[in-house]
Amino acid sequence: MSTTEASRVDVPPAIQGKAAWQPWAAVGVVVLLWFLAGQAQHWNGGRTLVFALSTGIALGVVLQRTRFCFYCHARDWLQQGDPRGILAIVLALAVGLVGMTVVQSSWVANPQAGPLPPEMHIGPVSWVLVLAGLAFGAGMSVSGSCISAHWYRLAEGSAVAPFALLGTALGFAIGFHTWNPLYSLAVADAPVIWLPRHLGYGGALAVQLGALGLWAAWIWQRHVKRQAAAPSPALPTARDLRDLWQALWTGRWNYALGGALIGLLSVLAIVRMRPLGVTATLGSQVRGALQQQGWVPQRLNGLDGFAGCATLPQESWATPNALVLVGLIGGALVAALASRQFTARRPTARDALRGIAGGTLLGWGAMTGLGCTMGTLLSGGMAGALSAWVFGAAMLGALWLGFRLQTGKAARAA
Amino acid sequence: MTTTVSAFGLRALAIKVGGTFVLATLAGTALANTAASSSAGPLVSAEWLAQNLGRPDVRVIEVSVNPGLYERAHIPGAVNFSWHSDLNDKLRRDIVGKQDFEKLLSKAGVKDDTTVVLYGDTNNWFAAWGAWVFDIYGVKNVKLLDGGRKKWEAENRPLNNRAPEYAATSYRVGKVNLELRARLSDALAVAEGKSQARLIDIRSGDEYQGKVFAPAGVPELAIRAGHIPGAVNVPWGQAVQEDGTFKPKEELRKLYAGVGIDGSKPVITYCRIGERSSHTWFALSKILGYDVKNYDGSWTEYGNAVGVPINNPAGTVWAAK
Repeated sequence: MSTTEASRVDVPPAIQGKAAWQPWAAVGVVVLLWFLAGQAQHWNGGRTLVFALSTGIALGVVLQRTRFCFYCHARDWLQQGDPRGILAIVLALAVGLVGMTVVQSSWVANPQAGPLPPEMHIGPVSWVLVLAGLAFGAGMSVSGSCISAHWYRLAEGSAVAPFALLGTALGFAIGFHTWNPLYSLAVADAPVIWLPRHLGYGGALAVQLGALGLWAAWIWQRHVKRQAAAPSPALPTARDLRDLWQALWTGRWNYALGGALIGLLSVLAIVRMRPLGVTATLGSQVRGALQQQGWVPQRLNGLDGFAGCATLPQESWATPNALVLVGLIGGALVAALASRQFTARRPTARDALRGIAGGTLLGWGAMTGLGCTMGTLLSGGMAGALSAWVFGAAMLGALWLGFRLQTGKAARAA
Repeated sequence: MTTTVSAFGLRALAIKVGGTFVLATLAGTALANTAASSSAGPLVSAEWLAQNLGRPDVRVIEVSVNPGLYERAHIPGAVNFSWHSDLNDKLRRDIVGKQDFEKLLSKAGVKDDTTVVLYGDTNNWFAAWGAWVFDIYGVKNVKLLDGGRKKWEAENRPLNNRAPEYAATSYRVGKVNLELRARLSDALAVAEGKSQARLIDIRSGDEYQGKVFAPAGVPELAIRAGHIPGAVNVPWGQAVQEDGTFKPKEELRKLYAGVGIDGSKPVITYCRIGERSSHTWFALSKILGYDVKNYDGSWTEYGNAVGVPINNPAGTVWAAK
């Protein structure tokens, strides 16, 4: 399990000289993105598309600079006892929860009656969802990242990411095939639980923030007890603006900053546009292509009735979801180049195998769970969906198991 | 009575029964579908709208008078038409001009075959006024959301605050129907007994009687209080039920027949500035199908006009009595 893929810190001065082209390339990418934004303004629904692109860019920059990845943060905590990453995720959820409570209490004034808030990623809860979470967690273990992180790693030149995304497409295709039987078995009758419906907005917020708070406290306590961890690298003391600017593009940003920004961006996206998700574009392209060929059943029972990372094939590729993705990759590319963290290397057979196998699990889990860590866990969790908690718990469970197996294997090999 | 039924008779009976069953099922299905998907008639229910929100040939337009209401939350996908700046001429006291109206509708992506659904705050007064303007400019397929914002919220239907962006069309107004609009001369003709039309004053009893010039807190007043001679008083609220939806057609018919308005003569509705009267205009003209004009100048024009006859039972004037 290579760690060079997953964690990079300060770039040694020796490499800096070789990578001098990167910041210039970053400027180039910025210009390209600016041009794309200008073009998008004139397309159908242009205002929202430009917003989507901008949100994607911001998201891409934040993800890359903070190295925000559900897998890596879980691994840092479960294998190395470093809780900062997982706490950042908790923070993102908490910020999102508060923001969404404020927004939803205006949009759906009475949560206890009437229909569910439209478009929010509130999904059906059943053993199928648990299975999806487990599969997704397993996919994360094998491929080394969740789907959103693979997208941003693509922009860093990762050798595994392209295969992982290919695998994800494959996983989606398989998922479309298994959907109908699973739907009849369990999903059709599964309850769609929106916590504010049962607890009111205040109650749902209290319960969820309370749970997150307790979990964070527990994590922190264990961390304090295990205080043998190496101290985190101190950021260079900024002496002037130039140093401050350099500091931005060195190493990684503060964990908490990442969590807070991701939570904020997610809320802003919902307010202006729609819940964030990174699988809708891929999923709908796969579904559209395969349905045309007849390799995926035309009728996917009930699928389009659920809110989540919708895979209904769109007429044009210029949808908000697609532009968020383009922005994400673009923003991550800018950030990676600006901090000279773009490292392309030739993929090995192992990379390909890992990528495709892990990606397939990821794709299947995301399709069956109606979204991934972004769509189901983050966007759904912020909206108060029980499905997010269930998916997240299953995913974490699979990850924990994966790490135990790895530690066991390493112990036996040693 | 013979106990045997011939085979032929049995088969004929079976065919009749089977056929009736099939017809009944078809009719029932058709009826059910009609009920759910019906947008026939001038009103649509919140239920229907909720089910048809995503349709590209449906355009929802909010016309509310309270500022900021639309911006905070509105029916998902609804466009905002400001009563003050979009539907009224900004310089003269007049409804929006033909070209500006075309621009408005084009920007909202309205086509000839679009079903436009209007709704708003304050009991749909301004939305009804909007419907009247839309009718003047000959927009086909204009509906009012029965119950307006209030009913939508009461039924706990979701709102959001995203401003939609529709592909612009090139909407062109055909024939302008000025028959729907009454002017001061029309109202005066009735007051002086020169016209057969029936005037209906839909303001509150106190305003009609002349006890007050206008409801509390409104800035547009008149120099004189009272009503136009010959007008009957049916406050607008009598046309709606508790939840803001219009009363059934039969009840409305009886209500207005009670004051002598039965459609046999043309009707002119008026109020203070013409938007509450649009509400009644809608009921009389679109629901009951009478020949109705809306006098949009209303009391703020008539009560300020020099030398016109007035009935002022309460005798209130600006200076002391």
